[in-house]
Amino acid sequence: MALARAEGLTFAYPRAARPALDGVDLELEPGEVVLLLGRSGAGKSTLVRAFAGLVPHFHGGRFAGRVLVGGLDTRLTHPSALAGTVATVFQDPEDQVVMTRVAAEVAFGLENLGTPSGEILLRAHAALGAVGAEHLAGRYVAELSGGELQRVCLASALALEPELLLLDEPTSQLDPDGAEAFLDLAQRLARERGTAVLVSEQRPAAALERCDRVVTLGAFDPDGPPPVADPRSGGELVCAVEEASFAYGDLPALSGASLELRRGEVVALTGPNGSGKTTLAKLAAGLLEPSAGRVVREGRASFLVQDPGRYLVRERADEEVALGADAERAREVIAQVGLAGFEARHPRDLSSGERERLALATVLVTEPDLLVLDEPTRGIDPERKGELAGLLRAQASGRATLVVTHDRAFAAAVADREVSLGGAPALEAALA
Amino acid sequence: MSPGPAAALLAALAAAALLAHRPATVAVIAAGLLVVAFRAPRARRRLYLLSVLVSCVSVVVITPFVESIGLHVLWSGPTIPVLGTLDVTTEELRNGVVQALRLGSVMLAFAVYALMLDHDRLVQSAGFARRSVLAVALATRLIPTLERDGRGLIEALRGRGLQPEGVRGHAALLSPLLAGSLERGLGLAEAMEARGFGRPGRTRVPRPAWRALDWLAIVGSVLIVLTGLLWL
Repeated sequence: MALARAEGLTFAYPRAARPALDGVDLELEPGEVVLLLGRSGAGKSTLVRAFAGLVPHFHGGRFAGRVLVGGLDTRLTHPSALAGTVATVFQDPEDQVVMTRVAAEVAFGLENLGTPSGEILLRAHAALGAVGAEHLAGRYVAELSGGELQRVCLASALALEPELLLLDEPTSQLDPDGAEAFLDLAQRLARERGTAVLVSEQRPAAALERCDRVVTLGAFDPDGPPPVADPRSGGELVCAVEEASFAYGDLPALSGASLELRRGEVVALTGPNGSGKTTLAKLAAGLLEPSAGRVVREGRASFLVQDPGRYLVRERADEEVALGADAERAREVIAQVGLAGFEARHPRDLSSGERERLALATVLVTEPDLLVLDEPTRGIDPERKGELAGLLRAQASGRATLVVTHDRAFAAAVADREVSLGGAPALEAALA
Repeated sequence: MSPGPAAALLAALAAAALLAHRPATVAVIAAGLLVVAFRAPRARRRLYLLSVLVSCVSVVVITPFVESIGLHVLWSGPTIPVLGTLDVTTEELRNGVVQALRLGSVMLAFAVYALMLDHDRLVQSAGFARRSVLAVALATRLIPTLERDGRGLIEALRGRGLQPEGVRGHAALLSPLLAGSLERGLGLAEAMEARGFGRPGRTRVPRPAWRALDWLAIVGSVLIVLTGLLWL
């Protein structure tokens, strides 16, 4: 018998022109891992929220059909009553942290569910141990890197020992090894505890190997863009980082790193969480000054921060882009990133993928000699990644481009060469 | 000291600063809280102490111009319609300093609460009104979160070749910061609901028993308020 079931589920958010989900049927059996794929905006996160009861209770909107979880109709059962049977790890770990320290954060859900007092900390530490994060128990959550925070959020969900585990792009901030370990753990939970796992992913390669079943919402091509067929060698030197070091206060982030970026080439900067990629990228773009070594740069540099959709400042998309150039040029670039027709929209009304593209437009419009992008594919589906890779390749000849990414397929599709920062993890990510 | 008694002590000191009449008493309370606040890490305390300084200086500067007390004129300025003659007297200045010290004491008590208390333990130890305690703890976290978002926003703009300049440039960032914090708040509320917040029958992590120092702080808090009300 299915643990959870959506029957003819149709849902539209308040004031939305079209439904986010339209007649979705899905059954989830105990012990199976189901991979949920779809383009950005296809309704993956909405479906996850429907199984958690948050749709429609938290969001409102028009709801038709039925969702049953553990025999309970989610329309008639409050999400807090479903908690425990269901546990959810949301897309953005920073927005789901309630407490200030890790152990208290993991204990929060257990307290709400009425777990006997004597068991709370034992289960919290066991869950942290299961995700390899027991050493973080006493740390402040504000000091954790994105990857560490995602592990803590998973531990918070695991501690509840749910029958249904919902994971909404849970590996978006993890390096490939970390993402595989995370998905291995989800698979082990399904096998050993009989937990049903529904996981939504935009980097599906690792999840495809570990899931029992794939469900797609709408048309979707899981294959990423093809690798670069004709890697180029660069022209004149635009930026040289020579033996650069940097520390955030007393915490070293980067030690003796070197990097050359030449006009016409696209370079992918890869490495594990906390290896100093973002710090090196910021040094290259001039946002940080090295404590040792030096950085030589020719011309204008632009830097697209991680999760740039948070940092949009104007009321209209075209005004946002026009901050860096004139209005006509802004409209051109908006069209280049596939947002023609969105000029008058408020940036915060756009989906996360659309915001990412708008943010990309805000740096492309400055026509930099050095373009640095920090994790530009977060929350973007494979098809859009292909378009982004194509756009960056098409414009590459006029500039040097550095792309910081965990996404192996995207790196292969966009970069002429890859620079990998390895070694012992630094503490850069903890402070970024 | 447990966070509950520590919070009570801070609240008592803030109340005493508001109740006391003698400038020396208010100054001693403010100085004591300032010393404690300086024990917080430099990077975290900076914003709080800067806010205290700006607020106190503003009160000292503004008070003489909105009050009209005292006969010992230190400075006499022009006569402005509606407001009358602008002058500064010793008494007005003294009153401004006292009011600034009062405000500073309250702000410093909050700064110590925000910087040095373990809010998790405070929430977990709340025997009643846990929702309110959690709401206060989350609101307290808003300040460092806004500061971090502000730094992120400025960095994002610098990455685009833009540099907010002057008071007006920085003030323009307030609206996106506020919008961002509202979005963050919605996400947090959703995550809390998904984790069973508000469900009846909650339990809590066992809290360590109060020690003598904790009881002393509770008794001291009551005494401080009474003393401030009756004698200082």
